[in-house]
Amino acid sequence: MEELGRSIPKTIGGWQAAGEDRAYDRKTLYDYMDGGAEVYLAFDLRQVWTRKYAGPGKGEIALDVFDMGSPEEAYGILSCDRQDPPAGIGQDSTYGYGLLRIRQGRYFVSVLAADEGESSGQAVLEIGRAVVKALGPPGPAPDMVGFLPQEALRPDRTSYFHANVSLNNRHFLASENILGLDRTTDCVFAEYDTDSGKPAFLILVRYPGAERAAAARRSFLSAYAPESDPEGLAPAENNTWVLAVLRDRHLIIVLESPSPDRARQLAASVAIPAK
Amino acid sequence: MTHPLTRRDFLKGTTAVLLGASLGAGQDVPAAKKTRVVLVRHRDVLDDNSAIDPDILQGMLDEAVTRLVDESDPVKAFGKLVKPGETVGIKTNVWSYLPTPHELEAAIKRRLIDAGIAEDRIGLDDHTVATNPLFVQATSLINARPLRTHYLAGMSGCIKNYIMFAPSQEALHPDSCADLGSVFKLPIVKDKTRLNILCALTPQFHGRGPHHFSRRFVWSYKGLIVGRDPVAVDTIGLRLTMAKRREVLGPDQELPPVPKHIQLADTRHGIGTSDLNAIELVKLGWDEDILV
Repeated sequence: MEELGRSIPKTIGGWQAAGEDRAYDRKTLYDYMDGGAEVYLAFDLRQVWTRKYAGPGKGEIALDVFDMGSPEEAYGILSCDRQDPPAGIGQDSTYGYGLLRIRQGRYFVSVLAADEGESSGQAVLEIGRAVVKALGPPGPAPDMVGFLPQEALRPDRTSYFHANVSLNNRHFLASENILGLDRTTDCVFAEYDTDSGKPAFLILVRYPGAERAAAARRSFLSAYAPESDPEGLAPAENNTWVLAVLRDRHLIIVLESPSPDRARQLAASVAIPAK
Repeated sequence: MTHPLTRRDFLKGTTAVLLGASLGAGQDVPAAKKTRVVLVRHRDVLDDNSAIDPDILQGMLDEAVTRLVDESDPVKAFGKLVKPGETVGIKTNVWSYLPTPHELEAAIKRRLIDAGIAEDRIGLDDHTVATNPLFVQATSLINARPLRTHYLAGMSGCIKNYIMFAPSQEALHPDSCADLGSVFKLPIVKDKTRLNILCALTPQFHGRGPHHFSRRFVWSYKGLIVGRDPVAVDTIGLRLTMAKRREVLGPDQELPPVPKHIQLADTRHGIGTSDLNAIELVKLGWDEDILV
C-alpha cells in the first residue's frame, strides 16, 4: 500500500496532499473510522491507505483506498451503498454530492469532499481518475450475482455482502439477526420490477451447510412471517406476499411480491449450480 | 424488544407502538414523576453559512437549563447542577465532520465558571477521557455532543458519547452496540452526569460512505435537546431523527438501523427512561418544522 501511495500524485488540479499518509489494518481501523468501520470489517478488508488533500480556502478531500482482499469483496462494499449515478471511473463507480466511490480489482476507493462545491467536485473526480491508474486490472463479480433471475432485475440495485449490519443498512429487515448472517455467509440482495411500480425483493443466502440454512429459514419465518404455510408462503402488508424456501445450503427469500405465483417464480428461477 | 422489530412493522405502521407510545399520549404517568427534557430552538442561531451566533446559543442553553431545573437565573440553575470546588469534565465530541461546536463548549464552560467552578478544574476532552486526570478526578460530568446517525448503533447520541470511558470500545460493538448503557455504570462515570446536551443545531439523519457523512443529510434544525437523563434525551433525539427520515427518505427508512441501545439502556441497564409516556418534553422557542 505504501508503494501505491507513492504512485498517486500529491498535487492534483490545484489540490495538495496535506499531512502524512496513513495506513490502518483490521485492528486499527476504529482509530480512523467512526461509524463505518464495522461495515468494512464485515467484509474481508485487509488494509486501508488514506491521504488528505487541501485545496483553496478551507476545503479538504479525504482519499481512502481499501484493499478488500478480492474483487468479489470490493464489489460487495461498493454494491451495498449505491445511491448515486455512475461516474465512469474504474471498473465501476458512482458519484454524488462530493462522494466518489470506485471499485477496481480488489480495491475499493472512496474520495470525499465534506463541503461539496463545483471546484471540490471536479477535484474529487480528478483524484479518482489518478488513483485508478495505480490499482491494476479489473476483477470478477461474486458468483452468486450470476445466480439471480435476470428478467425484471434492477441491475444497479443488486448488493452482495456477508453480515446483518450490511443487510440492515441496505434494506432494514429486522432489529435482530433473524437470518443468522455472519462472515461465513454470502448474501445477495436484489430488486425486481413489478406491475405495481413498487419493487419485489429477493434475498439469496449461502450458508456453510444445509442445517444452518434450515435453521435460518425457521428463524426467519418465526420472526417475519409467523402466519406462513408449510411452503413458507405468507400474505403480507399492502397485498404482497412473503416466501422462504430452501435449496440445499441456500435460503431464498422473496419479499413484497405482488402475488404468490410471482414469488414462487422468482424463487424457482434462482440458478444455483448443481454440486 | 421481545418481538424483533421488522420491516413489516413499518409497513403496518406499528413501529411507534413497538418503540414506545407516541409523543403527547402520556396519560398514564403522573406529571410529577416524568423525566423532563427541554427542546429549545432559535431561528437565528445559525446564519446562511451555518455559522453559529454565540450569544444566541448561550441564551438557548441558559433558557433550556433554567427550565430544566425550574430556576429563573441561569447561574443559579447551573448552581443546582454543580457546586464550587468540584472538578467537572465536559465530555465533548471531536468527530471531524460534525463535532460538538466550540461555541457550545464555551457556553457550558462559561456557566460552570459562573457557578463557581475554577477554570483549571474544568476538563474538556473526548478520546482520552478515560485517562485524563481532570476526568478521573471529576465529581461531575457534562455530556455534550451532536445528534447524528451511526452505521452500527443507528444513532449517536448522549449514551454513545460515553463509549470513550470504556476500557474497550470494540467490546461494545456487538449486536448494534446494544450495551452502550453499561458504560454509565463504570466507576469513572456512575452517578456523575449532571447534564446531557444533544446538539441539534445541524443534525445528521442519514449517512453515506466510509465516514458515514454527507452534507446532504444534515439540516439546520437549530435546536438543543437538554436533560438530566441521557436515555430520555436520546429518546427524543431518535424521535426527531425518525421524523426527518420519514419525511425525506420515506416511511420504510424511518428507523436508522438499529438504535436498540437506547431502549436497552433503560430496560437492561436501568440508567434512564426510554418510555415516551414517562418523558415530559418541554418545547421552547422557534417551532417551525419542529417535527417532534
